Amino acid sequence: MARKISMKQAINEALDLEMRRDPTVIVLGEDIVGGAGAPGEIDAWGGVLGVTKGLHAKHGNRLMDTPLSESAYIGAAIGAAACGMRPVAELMFLDFMGVCFDQILNQAAKFKYMFGGKAKTPVVIRAMVGAGFRAAAQHSQMLTPLFTHVPGLKVVCPSDAYDAKGLLIQAIRDDDPVIFCEHKALYGSECDVPEESYAIPFAEANVVREGKDVTIVSYGLTVHRALEAAETLAKTGVQAEIIDLRTLSPIDWDTVIESVETTGRLVVVDEANPRCSIAGDVAAHVAQNAFGALKAAPQMVTAPHTPVPFSPVLEDLYIPSADAIVAAANKTTARALAA
Amino acid sequence: MTNNPFPLPKDELLAAYRTMRTIRDFEERLHVEFAKGDIPGFVHLYAGEEACAAGIMSHLTDVDRIASTHRGHGHCIAKGVDVHAMMAEIYGKATGACRGKGGSMHIADLSKGMMGANGILGAGAPLICGAALAAKFRGDGGVGITFFGDGASNQGTVLESMNLAAIWNLPVIFVVENNGYAESTSVDYATAVDSYVDRASGFGLPGVTVDGTDFFAVYEAAGEIIKRAREGGGPALLECKMIRFFGHFEGDAQAYKAKGENDYNRTNRDCLKIFAGRVTSAGVVSAAEIALIDREVAALIDEAVGQAKGAPLPSARDLLTDVYVAY
Amino acid sequence: MTPKVGIIANPISARDIRRVVASANGVQIADRANIVLRALAALAACGVAEVVMMPERGGIGGHVLRGIERARGQSAARFPRLNFLDMKITGTVEDTRCAARMMALAGDVAVIIVLGGDGTHRAVAGDCGTVPIAGISTGTNNAFPEHREPTITGLAAGLAAMGLVPPAVAFAANKTIEVSIDGGAPEIALVDVAIVTDRFVGARALWRTETFRELYVAFADPEVIGMAAIAGLVEPVTRREAGGLALILAPAATAAMRVRAPIAPGLVEMVGIQSWARMPAGTVFTPALSAGAIALDGERELFFDPHQDVAVRLVDRAFHTVDVAAVMQFAARQGLLLDRPLEGARP
Repeated sequence: MARKISMKQAINEALDLEMRRDPTVIVLGEDIVGGAGAPGEIDAWGGVLGVTKGLHAKHGNRLMDTPLSESAYIGAAIGAAACGMRPVAELMFLDFMGVCFDQILNQAAKFKYMFGGKAKTPVVIRAMVGAGFRAAAQHSQMLTPLFTHVPGLKVVCPSDAYDAKGLLIQAIRDDDPVIFCEHKALYGSECDVPEESYAIPFAEANVVREGKDVTIVSYGLTVHRALEAAETLAKTGVQAEIIDLRTLSPIDWDTVIESVETTGRLVVVDEANPRCSIAGDVAAHVAQNAFGALKAAPQMVTAPHTPVPFSPVLEDLYIPSADAIVAAANKTTARALAA
Repeated sequence: MTNNPFPLPKDELLAAYRTMRTIRDFEERLHVEFAKGDIPGFVHLYAGEEACAAGIMSHLTDVDRIASTHRGHGHCIAKGVDVHAMMAEIYGKATGACRGKGGSMHIADLSKGMMGANGILGAGAPLICGAALAAKFRGDGGVGITFFGDGASNQGTVLESMNLAAIWNLPVIFVVENNGYAESTSVDYATAVDSYVDRASGFGLPGVTVDGTDFFAVYEAAGEIIKRAREGGGPALLECKMIRFFGHFEGDAQAYKAKGENDYNRTNRDCLKIFAGRVTSAGVVSAAEIALIDREVAALIDEAVGQAKGAPLPSARDLLTDVYVAY
Repeated sequence: MTPKVGIIANPISARDIRRVVASANGVQIADRANIVLRALAALAACGVAEVVMMPERGGIGGHVLRGIERARGQSAARFPRLNFLDMKITGTVEDTRCAARMMALAGDVAVIIVLGGDGTHRAVAGDCGTVPIAGISTGTNNAFPEHREPTITGLAAGLAAMGLVPPAVAFAANKTIEVSIDGGAPEIALVDVAIVTDRFVGARALWRTETFRELYVAFADPEVIGMAAIAGLVEPVTRREAGGLALILAPAATAAMRVRAPIAPGLVEMVGIQSWARMPAGTVFTPALSAGAIALDGERELFFDPHQDVAVRLVDRAFHTVDVAAVMQFAARQGLLLDRPLEGARP
């Protein structure tokens, strides 16, 4: 039975269900229980924003607080995965990947190929992504393109509670290493989520709004900006189709191409910086594979090529806005309107 | 035949010698074959260091995991990885241990508990913590051994892993293979305090330094350390002081070594000679038994090289397989 | 000629298996360097102007030089001039032996301060000739060096080196036990020689009591750690009295008597004893075991085969040590460390 819960609760529920189902699932990370060894309460935090709160009471030492040693514990999660466990490691903020990237880039991502197929590394690395928390340059980045670039990794970024639960369950059951990106600005967002367990397959984009005039492709928080933009566009008679990619690697090219073949116009919205981004990747793929269907040049709406600023006035300018999406969509339709 | 005064029965002494001889011949042969230009890429040889791999691996079974280094052939052989598959891998053949996709620096066989040679220095330490954590959850009594050199001992991953292993009381053994050279840079230069036991002390772990050219010194110390870890006694560090007969990689002119250093070491500090001398002079193993193993190993390596050279190359479709389990 | 003091600090002691099989301590390199700096400060206070030190690759020397450099940056000259011997470093016990030989040959080294365990002191004692040793314990089994604050050892060494204390007071004679195989050059032990059934050196330390067969001790002090403790708990023999003790050991299960002895730090084990007797100086003892390993001061160093003859012999007055207690008592009585009395003040 479905009820409204937040994305934070949905993630907690997915972890709980999978830990119940499979004894090899363990969860480790900094402060994921919170208060380990301290004089106060155990499970004091349940994760820095409380996502894993309450799991320790249900699963005990299968949740492990780690020292602030990202290389050591992310590496340990990867090593344990190569030895038959299904660890879910929380990296807290994806920005911290700089500390432990070798273990992800050169170890987890490479084992399967480098060892001639004779290894699997079913590890999930959960981390917060995205701006909007006034957390500045080292706690706010959307680093999805960096991971998507690496063969051997899978990259997931849900846009709501329903997807978060289903995609995380799939990520844990998946036999490849998965980078699971949770937009911190969406933790509190609620939607209908079934109580029971369900998995959403990877590479199945979600058409969250149908439309015939322009295809807007996005993922994560900016799916909601795209929806706002679609409302505005609708008022001017432009019907936008919005595709939530859900997973960036693997990616559902078919749904994107099919949509563009109908609309003939593409806007890609990506909270990442523009160079070598998901937006650039999607635009290039469409240009190469559906050029004939395009009626206008694909448009990219991204963060600027800058670090994430601190001052709220600057940060609000940094994140792709609904207005910018409307403007980009209008650019693709401008020639049609002029004609 | 007098009573065997060694800590291993005769068959295990012979097996240890066979392991060391196999590593030596494997590496000496690669040195020759590499010079002919038939072997692609980088090859880092373990010759001279055999007593360390054999002395430690004598205590392990397939339930125990090891994380190796770029200089991994010796660890692979001692852990039971198939020599033919290794040789074919180094030649980049489809029949290789990794189907020709890994090469010398990435030979692995997880079924044997060999978690891979590793091209990234110090990367094995976190991984082996995970292997040990898995063993602890499973309760299978397995231990994890991570090898790293005097050079990689300066990687943060190694130090972080010592801390993690200590606080979680993981059955991990940190083995420093100290051959005195981080590639070409001397340990005296690169390491502020070149006692690795001191590093361990900083994390409250016991550390032991042994002569890595003496199989029995390694065997005895590793035995106690591994037993302790298996029984829940926690992590420890073992520093083996050893000799690298060849350069950092094949093609290294080794100009940074002292004149005559290699000759001196080959004459006086060859762990195989030391081992064979000891077991034969004690009358436990005969010179004929040693010679027989030498002949059998020489034939094995000949066969492995022959098979590797004749083996098929990977096909073009192999480029795209094995990236994911499912994508 | 101004007397110099030599320092031999072993970077490798306290690194063996007893850290795992027992809970033996490890004295870190930085601590060893600090011990040297404390001794140096004490030597300077006694007027010693120059110290020669064994070079090594363990990092002690580097840390000492850094310490001296920092002190120089801060203020006055707290330390004597420090030079390192010009010798090849092998990273083995040969370094210690070579340094001891060079200091003995130099002629102007009055005392050698030694940092290490029994093994290090044994290596120095074998090659230092008539130069007295002042021992500081930084090893595992430390039956030989006394346990005391290195600053005090430094003061005593400095006072003795500067000739401020009569040699008869400052220096004490010590026994050794010599072991030779087939009449070869003898190896020495300062405390004990143990014959065990192992026939390999392996991890060197002794901790498996079932392998113990014979034990010869130069002194048997119930307060020390290691093999000598077995003897000390049976029949004490002091460092200064003539002769030692010879014991026949056996596996505890079958032995005539058993003693619970601290054979290594943190390791109190039941050891079987068949018999024992006094060991007069000069008398040759021959082990009954036909083949095995010989442990010198608790570490397997040599092994012998059935065709080889082993001779064990105690030597009286073999080498000299600084008697720190006697020197400091003398210094106190003679006011050696009192500053010049105030004008007009009377004692």
